[in-house]
Amino acid sequence: MNCIKLSKATGLACLALMLISIPLLGAGCGSDSEDTVDKVKVGFSICYTGVAAEKGRPMGNAKLDCIKYINEELGGVAGYEIEVIWRDNEYDAAKATTIINELIDAGCLMFTTNSSAMMTASAETANREDFPGFAVFSAPALTNPPQHIYAQMPDYGDDWAAFANYYLENIWQGEGEPKMALHLLNNSTGAGAKAAADLLADDLGIDLVTVEEHDASTISEIDSLTRIMALDPDVLYISSTPQPTSIILKDAVDLGLYPGVTVGLGHASITDELVELAGADVVEGVYGVYPTVNWGDDVPAMDKMTEYCQQYHPEDYGNMDYITSWAEGLIVAEILRLAIENVGIENLTPQAVEEHGFKALNNFNVGGLHGPVTYTAGDNRLSKSVRVFQISGGEIMPITGWIDAPQIPYVFD
Amino acid sequence: MDLPAGVRNFSYAKDMAIFRTKTHWAMLLLLFVVLFTLPLYLGNHWLNVANFVGITIIAVTGLNILTGYCGQLSIGHAGFIAVGAYTSAVLTNRFELPFLVGLICAGLLAGFVGMLFGIPSVRVKGFYLAISTIAAQIIIIWVINHWTNITGGFNGIAVPEPVIAGITFDTQGEFFYLIVAITILVIFFAKNLARTRPGRAFIAIRDNDLAAEVMGINLFRYKLLAFFIGCFLAGIAGSLMAHLMGFLSAENFHITDSILYIGMLIIGGMGTTVGPIFGVIFIKLLDKGISFLSPTLEGAFNLPAGFTTGIGPMVFGLVIILFLIIEPRGLAHRWQLFKASYRLWPFSY
Repeated sequence: MNCIKLSKATGLACLALMLISIPLLGAGCGSDSEDTVDKVKVGFSICYTGVAAEKGRPMGNAKLDCIKYINEELGGVAGYEIEVIWRDNEYDAAKATTIINELIDAGCLMFTTNSSAMMTASAETANREDFPGFAVFSAPALTNPPQHIYAQMPDYGDDWAAFANYYLENIWQGEGEPKMALHLLNNSTGAGAKAAADLLADDLGIDLVTVEEHDASTISEIDSLTRIMALDPDVLYISSTPQPTSIILKDAVDLGLYPGVTVGLGHASITDELVELAGADVVEGVYGVYPTVNWGDDVPAMDKMTEYCQQYHPEDYGNMDYITSWAEGLIVAEILRLAIENVGIENLTPQAVEEHGFKALNNFNVGGLHGPVTYTAGDNRLSKSVRVFQISGGEIMPITGWIDAPQIPYVFD
Repeated sequence: MDLPAGVRNFSYAKDMAIFRTKTHWAMLLLLFVVLFTLPLYLGNHWLNVANFVGITIIAVTGLNILTGYCGQLSIGHAGFIAVGAYTSAVLTNRFELPFLVGLICAGLLAGFVGMLFGIPSVRVKGFYLAISTIAAQIIIIWVINHWTNITGGFNGIAVPEPVIAGITFDTQGEFFYLIVAITILVIFFAKNLARTRPGRAFIAIRDNDLAAEVMGINLFRYKLLAFFIGCFLAGIAGSLMAHLMGFLSAENFHITDSILYIGMLIIGGMGTTVGPIFGVIFIKLLDKGISFLSPTLEGAFNLPAGFTTGIGPMVFGLVIILFLIIEPRGLAHRWQLFKASYRLWPFSY
């Protein structure tokens, strides 16, 4: 009896201790920490866990590795160390909203998210507070109309436009309009591609025969692909993340839909993780649009990025999401450097960082990892070029040079 | 009802009063002082956490009326919250109606949608009813995602800041007062509802619906009433959430949230007024604490980035399992034990 009482008391004491310790932990990580002028704070909202963790994990690793490199080897930016406050948003919109408030309170000068979905959840709060940030993977609705949210790379709509143009010019051999089916993730990742397709398909001469949707946690798309097969499309375009894309492609192979139709992927789908999940034989010949260089390419930032990746996260080597977020870290540093040089450390505020950092970006080459980064008034996409890739023998190989992604005239509420 | 030693009631009204002793009133006053001065010493971040706690208490109180008092299991509560959120968003954004109209309509529409999906409760219960409420969640989210010209679909919809009598609630602190005021009203309502005829009917249905029907309780009427009240409060919570966040997408209303609301109710204590309050505060603060865990560990031990990210969800799950083993009747029961002990102090045993 005493033993039961003792264990209950111990358990309750542990629970109480955990609850009591929360404010103490918060004090160590939040707004109450003493501000020092030799550091500049930035916030990262990362989906390390949750349904998009297969992308969030390598991206989180890359940006934190990159900041470590900048601080330890380059001496920070303009002599100031970058202090990162990062939180795992678990790909949960409500958590992302709370995190953005925390980052504002903690005195961060800017923030980033990996995904368009998490930026969608954070954007309104950030816009209300004039708190600038950018999403690595972005949807058109985030930057149209342009406010305080930026896109590191061309968005999902740009992917669709780039692939559609490439398909018409290089692959389509038939008569009349090719029939295209869209298979889209049921969030902003899919909605971005659909927005562009709705706006541009007629002008380009593409017949959109159907739009199917899937969930991030889908386990079978046999039904939707059977409906697509009945429409006899020439091309299937998927805008999603690697996990559901792998399911769709495996089911397409099982049904005999692929090979047969041409398959194109948006940039959130085509990564090394996709090849691993689906298998190299399943994804053989699949096209995809991606806005960065490939591993091993001869660009200035490749050696250092590879060194850090292999030292700290060898499991991410070969994953192109690591490249995007290493580039993200470099862009964060460049924005801060410009802002510090333009207004001085003592005048650094989120608004100053936006005006004199984000908007001062001009042809920053990001170590050659992706297209040059330039702010253009009225267009909050920082990089504006993509490349088309094809998967061959399990490798994601570029088949074009940089393709310009002109701004698409979206109108959102 | 238990009273401290030496305290007696000499009238029915006094016996029914919620606050009966000077200590009760002093504690209430102290609570109000602390609550209403919070914005003076909390930053935006913790006020935002407090605002979400308040909103979730309203939603879980609704679920408590439905599940805790009336015994009708619902795993679609996030869907009903979504109905309220989108109703308020559409009315205030597309039709430019005042916030209060949006708030009331959000509650009413969520209540009616809840009644609609509650109709199967007349014929089915337990797991079967749970399945029908899951269907509600799926159908509601599907409609939101595909009624694009009204809801904005996957691109979402912006929600204006609430304005009441010319006062714009555009900061976390101002939202806090609005949410706290409504939360207090909801808790007061729930406390009293349990002591009314419908409240007692709910409890009778929960304990034995056949016996309740034999006693003359109209099961159809009271079950639907429970669905209406529970979902009305979900709608109110949804409306407040929509205006607090300023932007809505269906991703804010995931089925895992519905399951978590049930978890909050179980941890807090079903069928008690304080249960939802304890459950929500416990889960939200635990969740918040967990979010600090990984960055703190990596900073303290100079670990590679992302090394400890899996620890958070594991600790969260472990604490909940431990809690259910140690105190399966919820925090409300622990609170009752504490009060009983306090009343007998210094002779408690």
